[in-house]
Amino acid sequence: MKIFKLILLSFILITPVKANTIYNLIKIPNLEIYELKTPNNLKYFYAEKPFQLGIQKNISCTNSSKQTYDEKYKIISNNLNRYSKQFLKKINLKYIVMCENLSISGINTAGIPDHLMKTLIIDLSFNEKYFERVIHHELFHVINDGFKDLFNEDEWKSFNNKNFEYADCSTCSKKLGLDTYQNTNGFFTEYSKTIPSEDMAEVFSHLIINRYKITNDNVLNKKVEFIKNKLKKIDVTFEF
Amino acid sequence: MIKKINATLSEKITLIFLLALAIFALSFTVIIKNKCLFIKDFNPQKINFDKPKNIVVLNVECGNVIIELYPEVSPKAVERFTTLIKSNSYDDVAFHRVIKDKLIQAGDLEFGKKNKINYGKIGTGKSGLGTINSEIDAEFDYRKGSVGLARTLKYNTEDSQFFIILDDEPLFEGEYTPIGKVIYGIKILKKIKYSRRSEFVLRPDFINTIRMYRIN
Repeated sequence: MKIFKLILLSFILITPVKANTIYNLIKIPNLEIYELKTPNNLKYFYAEKPFQLGIQKNISCTNSSKQTYDEKYKIISNNLNRYSKQFLKKINLKYIVMCENLSISGINTAGIPDHLMKTLIIDLSFNEKYFERVIHHELFHVINDGFKDLFNEDEWKSFNNKNFEYADCSTCSKKLGLDTYQNTNGFFTEYSKTIPSEDMAEVFSHLIINRYKITNDNVLNKKVEFIKNKLKKIDVTFEF
Repeated sequence: MIKKINATLSEKITLIFLLALAIFALSFTVIIKNKCLFIKDFNPQKINFDKPKNIVVLNVECGNVIIELYPEVSPKAVERFTTLIKSNSYDDVAFHRVIKDKLIQAGDLEFGKKNKINYGKIGTGKSGLGTINSEIDAEFDYRKGSVGLARTLKYNTEDSQFFIILDDEPLFEGEYTPIGKVIYGIKILKKIKYSRRSEFVLRPDFINTIRMYRIN
């Protein structure tokens, strides 16, 4: 048994160190380059093999087929190309990771933003009905993480009716519906009612894909103005 | 009386084979010990440079590496690099991070000096001049031989450490501040000592000198 262990140990020790630039940059293993030359300098990667992240490896995602990568890349890049190089630099987003079945602690999620590592992981298998809007929703979280002071949650909460309360966290609630309400009543979707940052992300994503029409919903109008004003503060040239 | 016995043909062949093997082993040992044997050295005085003021000569065990600096791309970073060169600060500093055929990194002036190397802290040392801002807005093609300033995970933390890439690294554009490119002697850098197990090298190779080019 000892000999077996020694052989195993020596095998591990003589395994050469392999330089992986992508891993060194964003600390996600098993990625390959999909596209580097893009109009706004976003760099796209894809999962070649499944990967796990985090100290407890609680974030996981699997690889996909070439066909899916090709199809979804077109959709994702079409949506993200509306953001300028300068804006993306300000919000610190540079790398897009494409993979399937993305989950955190076993809970499926559409995307995981990492403001510090300038990365947004996108789940290609997320519900197609909402796929495009969700890209902008997740991008908003990158913005929010970089400008926490700007997107003041107390101010945001004050827009709602006094008897409304958000949940303690986005997954603490059963309000997960992403269909846009016909009668908004202060919120675009059921998921908006989870926590303020998700509410803001829903407003942002609806504005980006032009799902917002001026109504007499005063609460929603205030939220829309709030998001528009804050985005102008980040980048005066930003247009919805 | 001792009777003379002639060697048979097979014995003669075996003897010749053993002698040849001994000569081969001896010469092979000499060659292996001299890692610089087939590496071409460059004498900067025999080269005509378009911009001699931007030329730097990095001298290491196997010879001279000629680097052209790009002050028009990264003025502040090049200024920092040349300031440290002119004060001879890089002399006897370790190539502490080496990835075979990928990258070499040196320039830790605090913990990487030959006589007071600190393996526990190497790579985290400072120059004493403070950090400078990243200059990453200009387009720069990080091709083999490109030289850049190293930083921590955060931007605007460049100081004295620099790296030279031994392979194309397109993802470095917009990440790291470029300062120049090796124009002669990239093979010399491939002989810098590396470890198979780690990016950080125990008993590393050292920079002999880095000097600004001067016409004699």
